[in-house]
Amino acid sequence: MLAWSTVRERWTGFVGSFVALTLGVGVLTTALVVFVSAQPAVPERLAGAAVVVQSPAGGEDAEAYVEYVPWSAARAEELAASLRAIDGVAAAVPDRSFYAQLVRDGRPVGDPPAGDPIGHGWSTAALAPYALVDGAAPAAADEVALDAAYGLAPGATAAVLTAIGPREMRVSGTVDGPGIYVSDASARALAPGVRAIGLVLSPGAAPATVAAAARTVVGAAGAVVAGDARTALEPEAVTRVRWLGTQLLTVMIVLAAFATVFVMASTAALNAYQRRRELALLRAIGATPRQTRRLLLGEALAVGVVSAAAGALLGVLAAPLLGDLLVRAELEPAGFAPRPSLLAVGPAVVTGVLVAVAGAWVAARRAARVRPLEALREAAVDKHVMTRPRWVFGVLFGLAGLALAVGTAADDGDSAMTMAIFSALTLIVGCTLLAPVLIPPALRALTYPLRRSATGEVVRESAGAAIRRTAATAGPILLTVGFATLILGMVKTMSPAFGSEDARALGVDAVVTASGTPGLSDAAVAALPGDVLSGLSTQVFVAGAPVDALGVVPGAVPVRGDAGALTGDTAVVADPRWRAGDTLLLTFADGEAVPLRVAASVEPGTLTTPLLLPRDLVRAHDPSALTMTAYVRGAPPAAMTGDPGVLAQDPAAYAANDDEDALVWLFVLVMVGMSVGYTSIAVANTLVMATGDRRRDFRVLRLSGATNRQILRMVGTETALVVLFGTAFGALVALPALLGIRSSLAELTGSAVRLVLPWPELAVVVAACTGLALGAALLATRRTLHRAQPR
Amino acid sequence: MTTGTRLAEAVTLREVRRTYGAGDAAVTALAGVSVGFRSGSFTAVMGPSGSGKSTLLHCAAGLDRPTAGTVTIGGTDLGGLSEHRLTTLRRDLVGFVFQEFNLVSALTAAQNVALPLRLAGRRPAPADVAAALAAVGLAERGGHRPSELSGGQQQRVAIARALVTGPAVVFADEPTGALDLRSSRQVLGLLRAAVHEQDQTVVMVTHDPLAAAYADRVLFLADGLLVDELTGPGTPGDAGFAAEVAARMARLEA
Ligand SMILES: Nc1ncnc2c1ncn2[C@@H]1O[C@H](COP(=O)(O)OP(=O)(O)OP(=O)(O)O)[C@@H](O)[C@H]1O
Ligand SMILES: [Mg+2]
Repeated sequence: MLAWSTVRERWTGFVGSFVALTLGVGVLTTALVVFVSAQPAVPERLAGAAVVVQSPAGGEDAEAYVEYVPWSAARAEELAASLRAIDGVAAAVPDRSFYAQLVRDGRPVGDPPAGDPIGHGWSTAALAPYALVDGAAPAAADEVALDAAYGLAPGATAAVLTAIGPREMRVSGTVDGPGIYVSDASARALAPGVRAIGLVLSPGAAPATVAAAARTVVGAAGAVVAGDARTALEPEAVTRVRWLGTQLLTVMIVLAAFATVFVMASTAALNAYQRRRELALLRAIGATPRQTRRLLLGEALAVGVVSAAAGALLGVLAAPLLGDLLVRAELEPAGFAPRPSLLAVGPAVVTGVLVAVAGAWVAARRAARVRPLEALREAAVDKHVMTRPRWVFGVLFGLAGLALAVGTAADDGDSAMTMAIFSALTLIVGCTLLAPVLIPPALRALTYPLRRSATGEVVRESAGAAIRRTAATAGPILLTVGFATLILGMVKTMSPAFGSEDARALGVDAVVTASGTPGLSDAAVAALPGDVLSGLSTQVFVAGAPVDALGVVPGAVPVRGDAGALTGDTAVVADPRWRAGDTLLLTFADGEAVPLRVAASVEPGTLTTPLLLPRDLVRAHDPSALTMTAYVRGAPPAAMTGDPGVLAQDPAAYAANDDEDALVWLFVLVMVGMSVGYTSIAVANTLVMATGDRRRDFRVLRLSGATNRQILRMVGTETALVVLFGTAFGALVALPALLGIRSSLAELTGSAVRLVLPWPELAVVVAACTGLALGAALLATRRTLHRAQPR
Repeated sequence: MTTGTRLAEAVTLREVRRTYGAGDAAVTALAGVSVGFRSGSFTAVMGPSGSGKSTLLHCAAGLDRPTAGTVTIGGTDLGGLSEHRLTTLRRDLVGFVFQEFNLVSALTAAQNVALPLRLAGRRPAPADVAAALAAVGLAERGGHRPSELSGGQQQRVAIARALVTGPAVVFADEPTGALDLRSSRQVLGLLRAAVHEQDQTVVMVTHDPLAAAYADRVLFLADGLLVDELTGPGTPGDAGFAAEVAARMARLEA
């Protein structure tokens, strides 16, 4: 009864917690549902192969993905033949995949990622399995079977784009799954290298038995996976996209959790503080410390359970929206659909309840120690706000934050971003804990210009006296501004487009990139006017380790480095491991190993890839290699508008329109927007709670001659001061992390990095905080004044 | 309750000292007070402002812990008790009426009255609560919140709450401070009835000689020390007694 009655009477104190917690749990649920759903899956097109033999794993590439060294065509056939002989294997199909795309009305359809091509040999359809809907399997070299969803009937002519260029083919049949299927003979030419052989089992054969038999057959030449282990077959492109999405989700989850804990703890503390007299009264008339604690925890539990449930519901409803957004931003693979599971919703709900109770825990412990006598004595001036633990933890967090910032500076890449974020969050916590110490001197400095006016004096004194209220309001603002400064500054500082520097250094007139395709085909490059500098991107293996390489024609090299020494069977390296004169044994995408002499070795960093190879050699061994960027000298972008799959821009426009940056930026803005929204709830909540408590003050002010307008102006000034304080410290806490990121980047790139702060966006964030805080404070004051008319 | 005979003391203070702060800023509110309150007695405490009356009451009621000396309620020494034990003892044996802020604003008058019983884990019978409210003349107002009651009515609700558990001792700190003459008489009458009809013990701080004249005994406090004592004739509000109390007070304040 008591808990319920107080919740009803003090609803302003709880509605804020409720909304804050509901939103926090909502965001957490959404992010977790998406996060949990975003697990590696067995590729659909291999789902029917109960056992799959993979080519041997090579080293990790520059982004730490394991790459698999392909088998050559001959080796793959040999392996497939011996696998076919295993008891229980109905078919052993080498998975041949190559870049292919349907062109319709002159436009490429879809945009398959380079790492997960949709062109396959017909026999791989059996691995899904996909079946013919209509017509026949492709047999002749110019025949193709298409996904029925393309809407082309057998007999029709289809333009199929490969890395060479578009080609007219006859549709022999339609299939009930995605893909472009050519005859196995054509597929052998388009995808000679094989990375997986799928085994379709005869009915009744046990996958485990077959897998064991396959292992003895294959030996060290490959790895055998069956069951869930087949998720290892997920194409790198899909995994990479997923990883990107997961990174962002992780940041989102950390921030949502942090903001929720932060807001709940400060709300609970303020709530308990405001009710100290009521609690003291309860103590005086017979509530034991334990009963008092239980009352507060019970309230928190009630609020926690209700809002966690509401938040979970909200989150589950919002998850598909976030999933959709992520797919559209290409941060999750197409077809990704988040499915709510207990694994996702459970932790979110539990976290919500725990946060509510934990947030109230400290406050409740402290409240239980309220001396009954406090009910009898007025105590409007905050004393003893700084307890010893608060000092200790404040200083510890502050130091840890600074240490993390230093760590960020020393870090050379991978975890710099994470460390920077944690540095800022830790500093935010430290600053908030130490706020009672920081506020008085800061306020004195900020109010110096106001020292002569009467309202100025009241403002100055009351903001300083009610340190708790000031700190509770400044906290969320500090959090938002600090977070916004960090994230916005970090992304802007990290993203000056490297490509644009290349373009400028090369002195070109146009930069050509692919649009609607993963890269430019040979035909598209050949059609470009003027002097074209371009290279085919491929990956080779040197002693099992993956190395990126560019196939170029000497004299038309799209990099600043010198490739003059390149001849038909040599390589130019930009890697300290190799020297001119060495011979490298390169394994290409087709699984063939080719020895190449190193013709020249250049300074690392002058080339965009560690290896430059002769273009013809790359084309011969990697039929799917594409040109990512072509630079054109001697022709304006306007001269290249013919091919719809081609995007030609002048170098300046190219630098400005970096697609990927724009998407990341959008995502960051969404995240910052979310945190501003969250803060506004916290700030409004605090102000409404705190203002209601000042009725007595207002009445006294009214009685001593202040007009309503003067009181409103006073509250407005006070709120503005608090926002100013929060903003100033928010910017300050982000600074060490940003400086850390800057020196980390400078070390990484070997050149000076400028710290970029996006002022317009930051201004919007600060303006939003100010507007919200002022709005909430003034509205609450008006309401309170209305109720506090002198009687 | 635990006290056996009528003559036993419900509350005993022995050499109680209470100092606030430390060093130069230390304030001595009680400088060593020894006094006993007999079971079934009505005592008034008077003295100049700042003489330590409230402090005495708080120490005697177990709301505050003395710096030195012992306080015994119903035979139990409060000195060694934990906060929890102290609270339960207070809940069982002591009722308190404060000068201000007596009621939980979220609860109705009836709920406020029932609160001590509920805190003690008892399920209050609605009839008992209604009777307690009726005794203070507020039978009709049980469903009202404190914000809907006048100051005097709130004070009477507080008294009903203090009496509802049937405590051995009731402490009241200037219960009539904010009341008009009629309400004061009502409140004082209630306290006196508690003593003479329920056999409870009442200790009341007041500045008003007329109010003090309702008591059987009047104690005078000055600078934290017990300086004087008067025993009344036994008729409530006796004018002669009131005049005598006023004269003593005037002497103290001179
Ligand atoms: N928390 C405290 N800290 C410091 N000094 C205190 C505190 N509480 C009371 N005092 C001091 O102790 C002395 C006695 O206070 P007390 O409240 O007992 O006086 P009182 O007799 O009740 O006065 P009044 O009639 O004005 O209510 C006073 O000098 C007062 O200033
Ligand atoms: Mg007093």
